[in-house]
Amino acid sequence: MNLNPPLVIASGPGGSGEYLRLINPKYVGAYTLKTITLNPKPGNKTKRMENLENYIINSIGLENPGIEYVISNIDKFVLKETKTILSLGGDSKDEYIKIAEKIAPHAKKFEAIEFNFSCPNVKKGGLSILSDLNEWQEILENVRKILPDSFLMAKLSIEGNFVEILSRKVKEFGWNGLTLINCVRGLLIKDGKIVTGGLSGPILKPIALRAIYEVRKVLKDIYIIASGGIYTKKDVDDFLLVGTNAISIGSALFKDPQVVEELGKYLKGVKR
Amino acid sequence: MENTYLTKKDVIQINEDTFIVTFNEKFKFDEGQFIMIQTPSLTRKPFILGTWKGNIAVSVQIKGKGTNYIVFQGEKFKAHFPLGNKFIPPAGKGIVISSPTCITLANLLHEKYSCDVLIGSKSKINFELPFESVIGNEDFSKKIKTLKTYDWYLVSGSKQMEEFVLSNIESKNVFVSLEEYMGCGIGACKSCAVFTKEGVKHVCTDGPIFRRDIL
Ligand SMILES: Cc1cc2nc3c(=O)[nH]c(=O)nc-3n(C[C@H](O)[C@H](O)[C@H](O)COP(=O)(O)O)c2cc1C
Ligand code: FES
Repeated sequence: MNLNPPLVIASGPGGSGEYLRLINPKYVGAYTLKTITLNPKPGNKTKRMENLENYIINSIGLENPGIEYVISNIDKFVLKETKTILSLGGDSKDEYIKIAEKIAPHAKKFEAIEFNFSCPNVKKGGLSILSDLNEWQEILENVRKILPDSFLMAKLSIEGNFVEILSRKVKEFGWNGLTLINCVRGLLIKDGKIVTGGLSGPILKPIALRAIYEVRKVLKDIYIIASGGIYTKKDVDDFLLVGTNAISIGSALFKDPQVVEELGKYLKGVKR
Repeated sequence: MENTYLTKKDVIQINEDTFIVTFNEKFKFDEGQFIMIQTPSLTRKPFILGTWKGNIAVSVQIKGKGTNYIVFQGEKFKAHFPLGNKFIPPAGKGIVISSPTCITLANLLHEKYSCDVLIGSKSKINFELPFESVIGNEDFSKKIKTLKTYDWYLVSGSKQMEEFVLSNIESKNVFVSLEEYMGCGIGACKSCAVFTKEGVKHVCTDGPIFRRDIL
């Protein structure tokens, strides 16, 4: 994958292109769409987000219109202004395979297809797909066969197993890249009540850095998109130093969408 | 929709914890639309737009560091706007029932549609308002029960206020300005979902003002 600049909008915070109304597409290497599942999902009950000093906790629950809707409106989902990365998720092995089959005729329209194996906010699917490693490997194997020409990315978190072990599997089955990392499960007490969700924002940075560092040690030539707490040039530098190919902007969009322009310009100038 | 800067003009304290903040900039927006203002917090915060003494203004209730920053510290703010939909009231005489947090929208609607305005405030109001106000829950409840003859009602305030009005006024033309946590304000993040009779809606792109029959 050749992205210029190597800056990606993360799946979820960016929705399905809405931020292109506020940011200059020249500085977006690729825009990842919010994760789509086989069947539509209404998402979790509200309140779905809280923010504290250095983290956001969200429990959106993969609200999305389902793959049939995307296919029927494919022109709306393949963005004109930038390259588009499609993100797909599922609740079971069958769902991952079915959704791959459904998108196969349209796969060429996307720069890459990312499979979300790490959403912390759904009861089935998401993270728990990793609870049976054999099944998960069958997904990797089958999807690779169904989408032989796509640039396939796996989005992982630090839960389920050591991320470097999972990453090796991804590579073994011929996938092209990794997005590291997704939100990590978190919990917050608000007015005496328990709020659970996925953590994002600055708090994730050291965790994401370590994950990429460990994966790069064992896999020299897999494409890595960094995700987790990237807001500043220093963050970009740090992620490049541990062996990242591209950085992704997620929660930072909520603070200031223009961060994309600032970091995009910076990345265009950085020698890599 | 665009990125913009706001520079603070005046801050006027309405009651114990709520302030009108006016801005020097002039820009176009429709009644009911809102703006996301940047503070040191990790997410921008939504404020319904209105006017005060000829200036574009929002009303800010102090809830935490972000709102505190807007009222007391910040002078220049990054923001994006205008967001959400225009509120078009039905024909006839209407009333806006609002807490001080939506006073600038109430003022704008009052100027545009000559509608009545009732401000329900928890604490004493610091200056004479150009419209009627009641202080405390008890007076508010009494007053609401007398308001039966309007052609439309817009309620904009706390959840408690909205529920009280909905259960005491039968008109189908009761409109409610909903509040949900907003991450983006532009339809991307799906944090502001509301479950309605017509399925999942998003306050930022389908609202912020909804008619009672879909809720
Ligand atoms: C509101 C919200 C929704 C998200 N939805 C998705 C999603 O649908 N699919 C996905 O793979 N990741 C999702 N994520 C995770 C982000 O893509 C990203 O990996 C994570 O937030 C960490 O990066 P950040 O600190 O830059 O936000 C979501 C994150 C947030 C905050
Ligand atoms: S606030 Fe993000 S979708 Fe409404």
